[in-house]
Amino acid sequence: MKRQLQRIYMALIVILLYAPIITLVVLSFNSSKTRAKWGGFTGKWYAALFQNDTIMEALYTTLIIALLAAVISTVIGTAAAIGIHSMKRRARTVFLGVNNIPMLNGEIVTGISLMLLFLAFRVRFGFLTILLTHITFCTPYVILSVMPKLKQTSRYTYEAALDLGATPLRAFFTVVFPDIMPGVLSGFLMAFTLSLDDFVITHFTKGAGVDTLSTKIYSEVRKGIKPEMYALSALLFVTVLVLLLLVNMNPQDSKSAPTFFRDAEGRRHFRFSRRFLLGRLVPALLVILVAGGGIYYGARAGNGNTNDQLIVYNWGEYMDPEVIDLFEEETGIRVIYEEFETNEIMYPKVKAGAVAYDLVCPSDYMIQKMIDNDLLAEINFDNVPNIKNIGSVYMEKSRAFDPENKYSVPYTWGTVGILYNKTMVSEPVDSWKILWDSKYSDSILMQDSVRDAFAVALKYLGYSLNSTNIQELSEAQSLLISQKPLVQAYVIDQVRDKMIGNEAALGVIYSGEAIFTQKENPDLEYVIPKEGSNLWIDSWVIPKNAQHKENAEKFINFLCRPDIALMNFDYITYSTPNTEARKLIEDESIRNSTIAFPDDEMLADCETFQYLGQDADELYNRLWREVKSK
Amino acid sequence: MKNHKKWLSGPYAVWAAGFTIIPLLMIVWYAFTTEEGNFTLENLTQIAAPETVKALALALLLAAVSTLICLLLAYPLAMILASKNVSQTNFIVLIFILPMWMNFLLRTLAWQTLLEKNGVINMALRFLHLPALEIINTPYAIILGMVYNFLPYMVLPLYNVLIKIDRDYINAAKDLGANSVQSFLRVTLPLSVPGIISGVTMVFIPSLTTFVISDLLGGGKILLIGNVIEQEFKQVNNWNVGSALSLVLMFFIVINMVLVAKYDKDGEGTTF
Repeated sequence: MKRQLQRIYMALIVILLYAPIITLVVLSFNSSKTRAKWGGFTGKWYAALFQNDTIMEALYTTLIIALLAAVISTVIGTAAAIGIHSMKRRARTVFLGVNNIPMLNGEIVTGISLMLLFLAFRVRFGFLTILLTHITFCTPYVILSVMPKLKQTSRYTYEAALDLGATPLRAFFTVVFPDIMPGVLSGFLMAFTLSLDDFVITHFTKGAGVDTLSTKIYSEVRKGIKPEMYALSALLFVTVLVLLLLVNMNPQDSKSAPTFFRDAEGRRHFRFSRRFLLGRLVPALLVILVAGGGIYYGARAGNGNTNDQLIVYNWGEYMDPEVIDLFEEETGIRVIYEEFETNEIMYPKVKAGAVAYDLVCPSDYMIQKMIDNDLLAEINFDNVPNIKNIGSVYMEKSRAFDPENKYSVPYTWGTVGILYNKTMVSEPVDSWKILWDSKYSDSILMQDSVRDAFAVALKYLGYSLNSTNIQELSEAQSLLISQKPLVQAYVIDQVRDKMIGNEAALGVIYSGEAIFTQKENPDLEYVIPKEGSNLWIDSWVIPKNAQHKENAEKFINFLCRPDIALMNFDYITYSTPNTEARKLIEDESIRNSTIAFPDDEMLADCETFQYLGQDADELYNRLWREVKSK
Repeated sequence: MKNHKKWLSGPYAVWAAGFTIIPLLMIVWYAFTTEEGNFTLENLTQIAAPETVKALALALLLAAVSTLICLLLAYPLAMILASKNVSQTNFIVLIFILPMWMNFLLRTLAWQTLLEKNGVINMALRFLHLPALEIINTPYAIILGMVYNFLPYMVLPLYNVLIKIDRDYINAAKDLGANSVQSFLRVTLPLSVPGIISGVTMVFIPSLTTFVISDLLGGGKILLIGNVIEQEFKQVNNWNVGSALSLVLMFFIVINMVLVAKYDKDGEGTTF
């Protein structure tokens, strides 16, 4: 009876631990691109995985960092443990106290403190900074796992070895080391696992063009995880599982080996070879694989001289990867591509200048802010003849934030509106008002960014979405607070997956996402509310500290080519300002779609965001934080 | 002889000074200066802002609840594990580390898929004609996420102390007339205190400071202190205020260190 209860209890815990993992494995076989819908069984993501260079690069970066961090921290940590072991009590306490700091410190504090350190010493954020931080938080675990083993060793055997004429080094490796080996090994394994799984600390200390799997996944969270990522995780997991099963079937402790010694000669031989295979050969092969892959991808990343580079900083999922391949093929310029989630995350990175981006794609008001803060270089339009393909109306609209059209080239544009599910909403949707209708409690998705959220409330109240009037803003704030109980979640691009999965009835969304969601779920409809909304433009700009300005201009010119603009439109479904590209759209319903290309009448009350200055920024942020913490 | 060996910890001492101590001092520096580098106490006053206090209080509450749940779940589990024979336990312990090889963010995201209104769990419940589970985007989902992610950090230190307890002590207690409840309360429990302290720390601190779990499972409606700090650094871009808020977290960390130093003198309750 007791045994049964124990079994059931263990089983429940194991289910808790493994339910998400099974979910992920199942998702890796889902042929639909969104996690919200089961589209049938497929193995295509596994094939796609090996062709996806960015994921493979992230995988190798992760593995190499984990391997290096684990090796280095094991060496430093083991040495330190031996040193600490031979210290006097007081020194030992101090040392162990310091050793505890990275473990007891919240990851966020460790990450931030190291970020501040690297900034202060002007270390370029990248592979090295990630490695240094990983060693920093792995070493304490090694020390803690070696220390107890050291305590069990006897000083006398070591001294006996010395008395018998062994050098200290030899005495250590023949007498002490075998005893502490299990501790060293488990420390190594722990360091490797922790490094592999870390997100928070890496999040704060990584640089452009370097991604570990964690940071890659985080940048994909908002847009929906690429299914290849599930496939990769499933593969990794199964590999490790199989390895562990094999190793565990094998008698690892040497104590059991002699019992087999007395068995038949053949058996002993068998044992030995399998042990050799699992204990030495397989790990060695894995190391070679990782190192080889790392060198391969490292060489790819580093090949050519730095003049032939281009560092692009774009929104997540905002360009067809094939476009980049084509550009690299045609020009021989290597594109280092990095993604950001919001304008607000992008801005400090560009401003800090730790990475010299060549080409960035911010939105309207942020471009104005960057111009005001003298961060942008004028574009030499002699190098961008394809600018002629961009409709003049969009250049005109850009003047709101770039008055002389000197700094920016429009890439995409659109509106913000309400996406609703026709099966869940009976009445006609034409006003922001419906987002305050208690009938739809817990079925409303709001935008989780300051300006967008306030724009909804301000427009509903009939004010400008660029208002800095404290009276109007606090009215908007109380409106948002009164809405909070009705809101299911504040999200950014996850509106897409949630609406496709019928999770909510109404969601505030960018028009570009609407086309994609309609394809996946025909019950969805998009509307620009009659009170007006936000008309936004995302444009390419070149930061002042760009190292490869001409390459950047070449790339802008390339993106303005109608066939390329069309490829991007098909991939990201955000409206293109490229009138020549629009003519090439084959599907008539999309070419004339009022979602993608609304007419002037619908845009009559729409405004473009403007940069309101630092004081207003802080005011908005404070009001929004109050909404969120209510 | 001993004096020579001591220097082996030299490299780590330098490392710890450079990458642990100095970075923490940088946080202190930022917390007490303005953007221009002048001394100020203004950043610290931000701690008293109602929304910060609320985020901190909520974070403390959720972290405390998750830690308690972890302890209650993990203790029986660790006892069961400790009572198994050795060859099995190695494997069982690995079972708790194995999930870490699947990325932490993906595992947490998978809970979204499981818990959503039309998620896997609710579909199963609906199929069985049971009432739906509506905890996504609430503090309960965040607690679930914390328990799920940090449970191994509670199980392993408990297991490590429990397995070291000499069976003879328990037998002696029984010989002296204690029943199993008494022998648990008077022998096993007191002897496992270092493991409890270590486990509580290993769960409480990451729960208190997380921003990812609340972000992914709280629907952006629930702001914990970790979220506030992350936003200060990554969105609002006010590093001075962000540093000041991090100082608050360090206060709790110091309390924890004192506790650990007091109860776990010999590092017995190590996690791994």
